[in-house]
Amino acid sequence: MDWQALILSLQLAAATLAVLLPSGLWLGRWLASTRFAGKAWIEALVVLPLVLPPTVLGYYLLVSMGGASPIGAWVKEVFGVSLTFSFLGLLIASVIFNVPFLVQPVQRAFEAIPGDLAEAAAVSGLSAWQTFWRIELPLAWPGVLSACVLTFVHTLGEFGVVLMVGGSIPGETKTIAISIYDKVQSFDLTGANQMALLLLLFSLGAVGASFFASARLAVRR
Amino acid sequence: MSGPDLKAALALVAEVEQSLPMPLSGSLRCEAGELLALVGPSGAGKTSWMRVLAGLMRPQQGRVAVGSEVWCDTAQGIFLPPQRRHVGLVFQNYALMPHLDALGNVALSLLHLPHADRLKQARHWLDHVGLSAEQQARRPATLSGGQQQRVAVARALAREPRLLLLDEPFSAVDQMNRQGLYRLLADLRRELAIPIVLVTHDLNEARMLADRLVVMDGGRVLQEGTPAQIHTAPRNARVADLVGIQNRFQGVWLGPADSPGQGRLRWTGGDADDTAAPVVLTVRDKGKLPAGHAVTWVIPNDGIVLVEPGAGSAGDFDTEVIEARHLGEITLATLRVHSVPGAHLVLTWAGAQRQALTPGAHWCVRLDPARVHVMPLRTRNGAVQTAA
Repeated sequence: MDWQALILSLQLAAATLAVLLPSGLWLGRWLASTRFAGKAWIEALVVLPLVLPPTVLGYYLLVSMGGASPIGAWVKEVFGVSLTFSFLGLLIASVIFNVPFLVQPVQRAFEAIPGDLAEAAAVSGLSAWQTFWRIELPLAWPGVLSACVLTFVHTLGEFGVVLMVGGSIPGETKTIAISIYDKVQSFDLTGANQMALLLLLFSLGAVGASFFASARLAVRR
Repeated sequence: MSGPDLKAALALVAEVEQSLPMPLSGSLRCEAGELLALVGPSGAGKTSWMRVLAGLMRPQQGRVAVGSEVWCDTAQGIFLPPQRRHVGLVFQNYALMPHLDALGNVALSLLHLPHADRLKQARHWLDHVGLSAEQQARRPATLSGGQQQRVAVARALAREPRLLLLDEPFSAVDQMNRQGLYRLLADLRRELAIPIVLVTHDLNEARMLADRLVVMDGGRVLQEGTPAQIHTAPRNARVADLVGIQNRFQGVWLGPADSPGQGRLRWTGGDADDTAAPVVLTVRDKGKLPAGHAVTWVIPNDGIVLVEPGAGSAGDFDTEVIEARHLGEITLATLRVHSVPGAHLVLTWAGAQRQALTPGAHWCVRLDPARVHVMPLRTRNGAVQTAA
C-alpha cells in the first residue's frame, strides 16, 4: 500500500477544488445568467478537456508549461520552480482538466433557478451579493455539492494527463493512479489490488453519498 | 397637510416612451389610496409597465415619481434600482423562495433589522394577512395557492412600500380563495395610504376592484378612466373591443338633428352597403363629429330593452333570435336585426325573460339613445375616415 501516493492524491484533489470552486462558481453562474453571440464557443471550451484524449491535453500542457516555453521560463525565473514534473504543474493541469466537471453542473444548477426569484430578491431590497448568498447559492447547492464531489473523485483517478505532465516522482507527482500503474508494471498485483479496491470503494461511496444528499435536498424544497 | 394634499403628495406619476426592446408609451397617475388597474390582452405591455415602475426595467425615455421621490428620470440620468425604491411587488407566480419557510420569505424584506426584530416584524405581517403560526413555519411548496399569495403580499408589505404593485395576483388562485383575497385587498386599500397598481387581463376583476382603469394595447396607454366611463364611452373601437363591448356597429354620422344636443346616426350593415331604406337613429351629439364621417358606435347591454312582439312602438327593431346559449344563470343570445343586413346584437340576459330567448323566436328591441356612444372611425395612420 503506497500511503504516500494516496496522501499526495488527496492533497492534489483538495488543492484543485480550492482553486477551482470559487472561479468555477463564478464562471458557471455567469454562463447561466448571460446570453451573447460567442457563448457557445466558451461553453465548448469548457467541455473540451472532457472530450480531448488525456495525452493531447497533457501534451499541450507540457509544451506550454515546459522550461522552453515563455510561461515556464518566466515562472522558473521569478519563483524558482519548474511547472513540469512538479506538484504545482500537476495542480495547474488538474485544475484545467477538471473545468468541465465543476463548471457544467454548477451552470445547470444556476440555470434551474427561476429568473423571477432574483428579481423578487431585488425588489425585497437584497443586494446582488445578498441575493447570491441567501437565495442563489442555497438553491444551487445540490448541484454545487455534486460538482465538488465529482471533481474531487475525478482528480483522485486521473491518470493520463498526470503521467504526461508530472511523470512519477514519489512525494511530488506520483499519485495513487500512477502508483497502481507502477505496481502492475512491476507485477506487484497484491499492492495494485489493495489500492485499486480502495479507490473503487472511495469513489463509489463519495458519488453515491452526493447523489443521496442531492436527492434529499431536492425533496426538502 | 390636509387630506387631499397629502394624497397628491404621495401619488404615483409615470410616463414612458420607448420603442425597444418592446414599444411602450403613455402616462399614468395613481393617487395614494387609489387602486389603478392596468388592463389589456396578453402581450399588451402591462407587465413591462409594471417592471418599469418597480425598477426591474430601465425605459429608453421616461419618468417615474412617487410623491417627491423621483425613481427614474432618463432626462436627468436618474434611475434608482429596485433595492432603493421601497416598492412592494407581488409577482404573478408569487416568486417565493422555495428553500425558506413563509416566515423566512417575509423576513427577506427586513434584512436591515436585527435578527430578532426581523422575525417579530415578519410574524406581524403574516398574522396580518391571516396565516396561522403553523402555516408560517411551512415552505411555499406545502402551502396552497391562496396561502402562498398571502405570503407574497406579506413580503411586499413588510417592505413598507410607497407603491404596491400586483401582477396578475389572482390568476393562479381558485375561485373560492379569490373571494378571500379580494377582501384582503379591499382591507389593504383602506389601511394603506399608498398608490396600488394592479395588472390583470380579467376585466370583471378590474371593474370590481379598481377605482380607475388604464386600458393598454401594444404597450400603449389607450384610455384612462373609471370603469363606468370607459365602459360607456370608450375612446375608440379598439378600447371597446378590449373592454368587451360586444355590440359594436358601423354607421355614418349625418349631423345635428332637429332637437338641440341630438344628432342623427345612420346604422349601416356589416356587409355590403345596403340600398334598403336607411335606418337612422337619433342619439346624443357632443358636437365633435362633422357630418358625413364614417363612425363606429357601441351600446352597452343595459341600453338594450327587449319588448314583446307586437308591443313595440315606432323606432323599435324587429329581430329574430338566431342563437341562444343558456349558461348557468345567464343566457347569451345573438339576434339578427331585420332592417340592417348583417347587423347582429349580442345580449347577455338574466332573469325570467331569458327562457323565451330560443332560436327562431321574434323579439322587438329598443335601443336607449342616451346610451349610444359614437366614435370616429380612424384609419391606420390616425386620420378620420370619411364615408364614401
